Amino acid sequence: MDLFGLLIYPGLIFLLALAWFYEWLDRRFFARLQNRYGPIYTGPHGLLQPVADFVKLLAKEDIEPAAVDKPLFRCVPILVLTLPLAVLFLIPMSGVSAFIHFEGDLIFTIFIMTLLAILAFLGGWSSTSRFSTLGGLRAAMQTLGYEVPLAIVLIGPALVARSLSITRIVEWQASNGLWIVVLTPLGFGIAVLAMLAELEKIPFDIPEAETEIVAGWQTEFSGRKLALMRLALDLELVLSAGLISALFLGGPSGPVPFIPNIIWFLIKATFVVLILTNLRALFARFKIDQMVSGSWKYLVPLAVLQILILQLLLR
Amino acid sequence: MEGELLRHLAKKPATMQYPFEKFQPVEGTRAKIEIDMVKCIGCGTCVFDCPAFALEMVGKGMTCDMKWYPMRCVYCGQCVESCPRNAIKQTDEFALAKTRKEELVSEFKRSKKE
Amino acid sequence: MSESIFTVPVGPQHPALKEPENITLTLDGEQIIDAKIRLGYVHRGGEKALENRTYVQNLYLVERVCGICAMAHQLCYANNVEALLGIEAPPRARYIRTIVAELERIHSHLLWVGVAGHEIGFDTLFMYTWQDREIALDLMERITGNRVLHATNAIGGVRRDITSDMIPLIKKGLTYLGERIEYYRKLALGEKTIAKRAVGVGILKTQDALALCAVGPTARASNVRRDVREYDPYSAYDEMPFDVVTNDGCDVAARIFVRIDELEQCARILEYAVDHLPEGPIKVRAPRSVPQGENVSIVEAPRGEDIHYCKSNGSDRPERYKIRAPTLANWASMRKMLIGGSMADVPIVLAAIDPCMSCTDRVAFLDAKSGKSWAWSYEQLKKYVQKHYGE
Repeated sequence: MDLFGLLIYPGLIFLLALAWFYEWLDRRFFARLQNRYGPIYTGPHGLLQPVADFVKLLAKEDIEPAAVDKPLFRCVPILVLTLPLAVLFLIPMSGVSAFIHFEGDLIFTIFIMTLLAILAFLGGWSSTSRFSTLGGLRAAMQTLGYEVPLAIVLIGPALVARSLSITRIVEWQASNGLWIVVLTPLGFGIAVLAMLAELEKIPFDIPEAETEIVAGWQTEFSGRKLALMRLALDLELVLSAGLISALFLGGPSGPVPFIPNIIWFLIKATFVVLILTNLRALFARFKIDQMVSGSWKYLVPLAVLQILILQLLLR
Repeated sequence: MEGELLRHLAKKPATMQYPFEKFQPVEGTRAKIEIDMVKCIGCGTCVFDCPAFALEMVGKGMTCDMKWYPMRCVYCGQCVESCPRNAIKQTDEFALAKTRKEELVSEFKRSKKE
Repeated sequence: MSESIFTVPVGPQHPALKEPENITLTLDGEQIIDAKIRLGYVHRGGEKALENRTYVQNLYLVERVCGICAMAHQLCYANNVEALLGIEAPPRARYIRTIVAELERIHSHLLWVGVAGHEIGFDTLFMYTWQDREIALDLMERITGNRVLHATNAIGGVRRDITSDMIPLIKKGLTYLGERIEYYRKLALGEKTIAKRAVGVGILKTQDALALCAVGPTARASNVRRDVREYDPYSAYDEMPFDVVTNDGCDVAARIFVRIDELEQCARILEYAVDHLPEGPIKVRAPRSVPQGENVSIVEAPRGEDIHYCKSNGSDRPERYKIRAPTLANWASMRKMLIGGSMADVPIVLAAIDPCMSCTDRVAFLDAKSGKSWAWSYEQLKKYVQKHYGE
């Protein structure tokens, strides 16, 4: 077992640093779009701001309301942190092959992402406060909306590369010199929108709507648990950006041969993060019934259409 | 809307990085009170008219001293208008915070001649 | 209580509220089936304080009833006392009062558009409108000396003059604001996500608006044509060219459009007032003692009709002063607007009446059966607070 790879690069330390870097990038870009600065003070150019926020939350008091379901309440932050970490090893970053890969790991990734949404529901349910329950219910309903189109369009690249392993898909794009986004542009768009829903970002941050239900399913978490959950959200951002760039944009490979793979991965994943942040600044928040009905009225038919077109193209 | 968003990327942010950037107060802004004790006749109109009870007369008549409490003052400027001798002036010095409560009182004393 | 019905308290502390109020919603899933409103969290004893200070000191206390509509309250008070004294402000003072009042309306409506954007999750709109609001605030600081709580009225006129070097600044600011208002109108019309959150939400039909005595933009968005500047002009409004803006949408989107159109009318009034500023004194001398009498004065604050009542008894302090702020009139229609909607609509519906709790809160005890009313002393209030919030 490659311990250095597991723990340092491209393992744990690298992933944590990348998660914090993307949170910084997201906040800075969001702020500049709104004509303000964003974090600029902590560390050089404010790069240490997410780390400072994490450390501050670790030091705060961890309040557990008396009525919560204690085992579940304590497990949810830990699970929500470790599951994305586990799946991140399946995404190729430092080379065309991922750290671990096996046939069918794309399905495994989609399964884990669904599990994260169910964990959001469980987090809200175990908190037993009114706002948490509402947030948890909304998280569950939102899953109904975006999981199906997301799963459908993520199978598109698998059809092209004739394999359900993310590593094989990236290898196919590297060897054929063609990015799959050229074949499935609609799928790319739907995947980005569905990822916004999965990450609970505006316009789909309904389970966590700050002005409506305080903090939704995250309301009762505080101190260490909240620190772990926020870190988990950042890791999910890395996971989504990495997954989309691996499946659609060719992953860590590029036309110019002398640039190392990791640089290609960073460029493409950063590009996806910037798109997600831009969409975040552009829209207002939807209502849950509008989101689910809109998803089934527009996203699912378009996703199915995309797969049909893809099949015709591949013939 | 997207065009507006991208245009803002090129503009300088609207936030002013105070206190690292110096801030020039707008002309005529109402801030710190200063009393010219040479002109003051000790009539007490400013004390009577202050809505926040921020001015205090120490002593009586032409030999009085004046005290002004920045923490109570609402910087309305009524004392400036009430003074029959125009002895009170309102400057634009707005950074009046102190770290100790005892420092938050301005005393205007008459200079003792001879 | 059945399985899916539960109550959710919105307030007194809630991220959607800018000021504390308590609305207890009874929800069935996401649908609201009942709402119970409870106010009084910002009661500060203002009316009693007004009785203990002279008329000159009260000028500054009255404007602190509300930070956003400070000029409106102070103008109403000045009109009241001037009517009791039998004096009238000179023409130049009336024009200056109109200019500052309209600048305040611009700042208040831009603030509201930003807050409405924040309530529906559109933080970008919030940042943009509040940045443009700075133009109005800088202009007010230049004219009156302060960004909010201007204290520009005196009994008998205004305290500061608009000098000739301020006029080009005002005109430049107005030109820029005009472009931005046009941009916000296009945004409100065109942005689909705003339409999805605002159209058909928080419906208040015209007959309900009339029956529940809604005022201000809330009423005008339900096609009730009522604007104090039109039917009872004060200051210089009888000489200003402007249109009363109404909209028959009866929902939150209509309230957005009414306020954006009112912004345009404000700019129009300001242009005219600045161009036609008459010469002359800015103040007449006012005696300190007010003869015995009673007076009611009405002013169109940014949120609606603001009524002040004053009773004087010949001394230099008022005997009784009562303020009926516009938001108090709009709260009665809140229940009608909330029931039938969903939980997600609550913040925007609350924000759409532009609630200003600082204006609103007065407390009086009423025994509904016997009709007796009384007031509490400070000691009784302290005991009540310790009993309920102490543990």
